[in-house]
Amino acid sequence: MSSEEIPDLRTLLTTRRGGLSRGRGRGRGPSGASLHENDALVDHAVQKTDADAAGFRLSSVQLGYLEDAYAKLFATQPAVRRPPLINRGTYVRTSAIDLLVHKFLSLSPDQPKQIVSLGAGTDTRYFRLRDRYPDLQLTYHEIDFPANTTAKLAAIQKHPQLYTKLSSKRSPDPLSLAPGATSFYSSAYNLHALDLRFLATLSDDAQPHQLPHLDPSIPTLILSEMCLVYLQPSTVSTVLSAFLHKYIPAPTPLSLVLYEPILPHDAFGRMMTSNLAHRNISLPTLAAFPLLRDQRQRLRGYGFCHGSRAADTEFIWREWVSDEEKERIAGLEMLDEQEELNMLLRHYCIAWGWRDSGSEDVFSRAWEAVREQDGG
Amino acid sequence: MSIGGSDLDKAITQLRACRPIPENQVRELCYKARELLIEEGNVVGVDAPVTICGDIHGQFHDLMELFRVGGDVPETNYLFMGDFVDRGFYSLESFLLLLCLKVRYPDRITLIRGNHESRQITTVYGFYDECLRKYGSANVWRYCCEVFDYLALGALVTGAATSLSPTDGPLAENINIENFPEADADIEIETLNANGEIMYRCARNSDSQSSVTSQPNSNPASSSPIAPTPSRVGAAGTGATSSANGSTRNDTGAILCVHGGLSPLIDTIDKIRLLDRKQEVPHEGAMCDLLWSDPDEIDGWGLSPRGAGFLFGADIVKCFNHKNDLSLIARAHQLVMEGFKEMFDSTIVTVWSAPNYCYRCGNVAAILELGEDGSNAGYVRRSNGDQGGGGGGWILGSNVGVGGVGIGNGGPTGGGNGNSVGGLNRRLSSVLGESGRTREGPGRRYRVFEAAPQDSRGMPAKKPVADYFL
Repeated sequence: MSSEEIPDLRTLLTTRRGGLSRGRGRGRGPSGASLHENDALVDHAVQKTDADAAGFRLSSVQLGYLEDAYAKLFATQPAVRRPPLINRGTYVRTSAIDLLVHKFLSLSPDQPKQIVSLGAGTDTRYFRLRDRYPDLQLTYHEIDFPANTTAKLAAIQKHPQLYTKLSSKRSPDPLSLAPGATSFYSSAYNLHALDLRFLATLSDDAQPHQLPHLDPSIPTLILSEMCLVYLQPSTVSTVLSAFLHKYIPAPTPLSLVLYEPILPHDAFGRMMTSNLAHRNISLPTLAAFPLLRDQRQRLRGYGFCHGSRAADTEFIWREWVSDEEKERIAGLEMLDEQEELNMLLRHYCIAWGWRDSGSEDVFSRAWEAVREQDGG
Repeated sequence: MSIGGSDLDKAITQLRACRPIPENQVRELCYKARELLIEEGNVVGVDAPVTICGDIHGQFHDLMELFRVGGDVPETNYLFMGDFVDRGFYSLESFLLLLCLKVRYPDRITLIRGNHESRQITTVYGFYDECLRKYGSANVWRYCCEVFDYLALGALVTGAATSLSPTDGPLAENINIENFPEADADIEIETLNANGEIMYRCARNSDSQSSVTSQPNSNPASSSPIAPTPSRVGAAGTGATSSANGSTRNDTGAILCVHGGLSPLIDTIDKIRLLDRKQEVPHEGAMCDLLWSDPDEIDGWGLSPRGAGFLFGADIVKCFNHKNDLSLIARAHQLVMEGFKEMFDSTIVTVWSAPNYCYRCGNVAAILELGEDGSNAGYVRRSNGDQGGGGGGWILGSNVGVGGVGIGNGGPTGGGNGNSVGGLNRRLSSVLGESGRTREGPGRRYRVFEAAPQDSRGMPAKKPVADYFL
């Protein structure tokens, strides 16, 4: 728990916030260079968020909240027991996304399907899905910073439980993992080393950046679990536009599932924003889409025109999780932080929107029974 | 090595700087504290004036802010309602400082047990790990846990004034003075900010509706007005209260302080006194309930989502207060974004003293000051009956259960009612029906404060991160 691990980013943050016109006062080169350094720090802070998520995941798994044989294989640090509310929140987040994913995958199981996980980090969902749906024709894509994909591939390479799952059974690809590889492609699993913002820099008529094995014609679910939230709203819009119109154009069914914080303007939300700013993490879309209804509206605005729904994770815990499962969870750890947990859960949401094709209605059918929250 | 006299003062100085004291001093301190606490009953008697505080949770810097806002020990008489440890990063320094102050000024500070003062909970919520980290062994944790077993389960505050002597403090910004009561009115509730500026004031017999609802939000860290919750508004303007015409003071009953709340197994305070408390907090039973339960908007008793203790409704509180001659229950245990929350017609209040709880919640904290009754000429102890010139409704509070002795005699404004026990009972039930109170609550001054600045007073900085889902 030493604070030395955390570089003092606040000084830089102040500089950044203060704008370029203010003197830097620290004798550090031209403002252009400083800006780059600063961007690098911000990027580094965002890349490091995966370590938090991985640590939380491992804690939840070890205490029995989640079943995930793969979490520990990606862990870079020994498991640390996290507070019960973190474990609960991790459980709700993961199981909520699992539920939407499972409903998608279990509909018409013979139909090939595709998942694109943005900023996947050390997420284990692909490996879990391979166990759960061994016969499904699933093409899985993960996109992340090269630093994160390199680390992930290194971990995969170390464990047979992982690398044996990289190819689909139906059409096995030869494994070709070079040491230090940043990307991996197969018909089943693809790890793209790519800064998402790059997709937003391409002009409209340019050829889209190649994403091998990304199939433009099969129903596709895009997953952003705390990823797009780190980008500027305009960048998010451009990135999603590339998927909606170039990579997976209509009429292929396409959906987006978001996990993001909401309610930045109350006391808790203001403190969250300020605490994360101290870590050099800013959440631009949080300010842009503060309420559930803003989340729904943004999904429609991107072009997910056949459905746009949202619920905060407190609602999801209450309404999506069965009584039996709630009882199981309650038995895992004594929870003394009920008010705080509820507040924390109310400040995160799942938002899901989709564009179906006229004939198929894949997502409308898959998610028909998934309750969203009224109002908000 | 002994920790008496100057050694104790040295330890206090060291702990005030947020520096742990050596293990052997902790052992000695805990031994002394146990000797002291073993003499206390399960329910400690405390005389007003006293400042009642809720959860601290190892937020040492904020505890220092609390002392700055509320006054230092021993000048101010304090009652802490438990949960000194866990969650925050300085549980050890916070608890040991409070314990040192207890040993040094036993009559000026009262510590009662919270549900976190337990071996089992501290191993989950951080205090155990903190001790291990700071001392390299679990010895200090073990000494502290032995002290936990001796902490009282509750406190009973007597001698509190029914109205506050008005502070002359300046008004906080954005306060509309027009809503303030007249200068000569009895002040029932006053809310001050950390600078001692008045944010809210409410007279006992006034119709406070308008002032409560129109109170501006003057606290930047809070999303809702620092004011009693609407649930209490009805009480101030009830027929029972106004029937006294503001002319008579009532005997305020005692105030029970307990960390969590009530228990279905406990209907009188005497039953708390009979418990064997010198043990680890059990998983169930009366002792567990007192430390774990929460008030809730339900009828009767309900299951607690915490997995220990119960939920209890307004009827339970009103019945308990009536039966035990209490005017108020003060408790902690639940995070309240505004620092305090009165419920059930001001028969129970939650006081929360950990600002920006876990460095994450963005809440403000509060402490509750109860004044001394000394200046209150009309105050008569319940057992003596009401000898004052009480009119109508006022007799009730002080005579219930006294067998009608002296009921309503000679009251100049008595209007001839209430001269028989039957009349009294009818009157009582109507009062209970209207406001559920037979006792006027004490005058209550809440001081609301925010988290201490990050690098306050040369103490070690707070850890800069709180966990979020990223």
